[in-house]
Amino acid sequence: MSVTDFQHRQSSHCESGVSANLLSHYGIHITEAMAFGIGAGLFFAYMPFIKVNKLPLTTYRCEVGGILKRVTQTLGCRLHRQEFKDPLKAMTALDALLGQKIPVGCRTGAFWLPYFPPAFRFHFNMHNLVVCGKEGDEYLISDPVFPNVVRCSAEALMKSRFAQGPLAPNGVMYHITYVPAEVDLEAGIKKGLKTVCRRMLNTPLPFAGIRGIGFLANRLEKWPTRLGNPTAILHVGQLIRMQEEIGTGGAGFRFMFAAFLQEAAPLLGAPDLLELSRQMTETGDLWRKLAVVGARICKGRASEADTYATMAGLLRECARREALIYRKLMESL
Amino acid sequence: MFDCITLSLKESLKKLILQELRITHVTPEELSDDELLFSDRLGLDSIDAVEVVYLVEKHFGISIKDMQEGRPALQSINTLAAFIEARSL
Repeated sequence: MSVTDFQHRQSSHCESGVSANLLSHYGIHITEAMAFGIGAGLFFAYMPFIKVNKLPLTTYRCEVGGILKRVTQTLGCRLHRQEFKDPLKAMTALDALLGQKIPVGCRTGAFWLPYFPPAFRFHFNMHNLVVCGKEGDEYLISDPVFPNVVRCSAEALMKSRFAQGPLAPNGVMYHITYVPAEVDLEAGIKKGLKTVCRRMLNTPLPFAGIRGIGFLANRLEKWPTRLGNPTAILHVGQLIRMQEEIGTGGAGFRFMFAAFLQEAAPLLGAPDLLELSRQMTETGDLWRKLAVVGARICKGRASEADTYATMAGLLRECARREALIYRKLMESL
Repeated sequence: MFDCITLSLKESLKKLILQELRITHVTPEELSDDELLFSDRLGLDSIDAVEVVYLVEKHFGISIKDMQEGRPALQSINTLAAFIEARSL
């Protein structure tokens, strides 16, 4: 059984890619960047009190599931989400939907997906994919970060859906149950932009939004003295991995938001957004620079200029530039 | 600093990656064009990929901003060279 007409499109990020692909399946043809923007995916938070692999969580995006939830809600679609305690029941429910030719989104632990190259595997329990078919004991999976549909055994998929550890997926699966005849893309874009700006500029929590970037800069500067060099390096490694996902995207979410602004400009009749898109791309380049300095520190290749102070300085500059962009965006809406 | 003009693209990439990432147990001659870059033999991981992306941009002026294109490009010297050549046209 398979959802034969499900169109797999590779994307940069799993949740925004899954959102765009699922909506496109039901006739709402949007790009990944558009799904990311309407879903207000851009965010920042450094949460040392939440540990992933025993190290502090840094997030460059909104909460898990938030993009999908907001983009479907904003465009007037309905999403049915289920969570399971029993792995066998979770797989039976998945099979039942596939039997009805319904593509099903699943949250998984990427480490247990056998098609991930070993060098890029790490424990990440927030990986989204679409199961679009089953042949024998194998599932056909539209994993948005892969170029083609991949196959995965039932055993591996079940293990991945019930991966242990922080933010365990608990068998979460979802599918779209209703799509309106027409969608108001412009209203959705404006709503997404306002949500991102408000969260980045006005979140009162010191560890989130623009303030959170500064908070991380202050903390990071002190890591070598506070934690000792070996532990400080582990913290930097975690920071870079969470930023880069598997290493090729630079500050991928900043670039994706820039692409969203570029796409939104003609739709809103707001050419100012093109300049802000360019500025956001420049900020993305700065985030990438931060990652390069961090990678060198982690791997013992640091030059004299590659220091924790340099990283802190880059973070502060990212915060300053992003704050300007969000303020200008708020003015333009 | 690498002379990316006189060396062939693949040779340049090999020397660049091995030298800048300080891989001393493999020589450019031993690194085959289709060998997986992120493998146990070279000992590279996702953190090293950050620097490979940066090196490609710095030395060849080719920016990899999108993971969709970056992932397949970073598979091997062959795929990376093909990516750079396609972008240089």
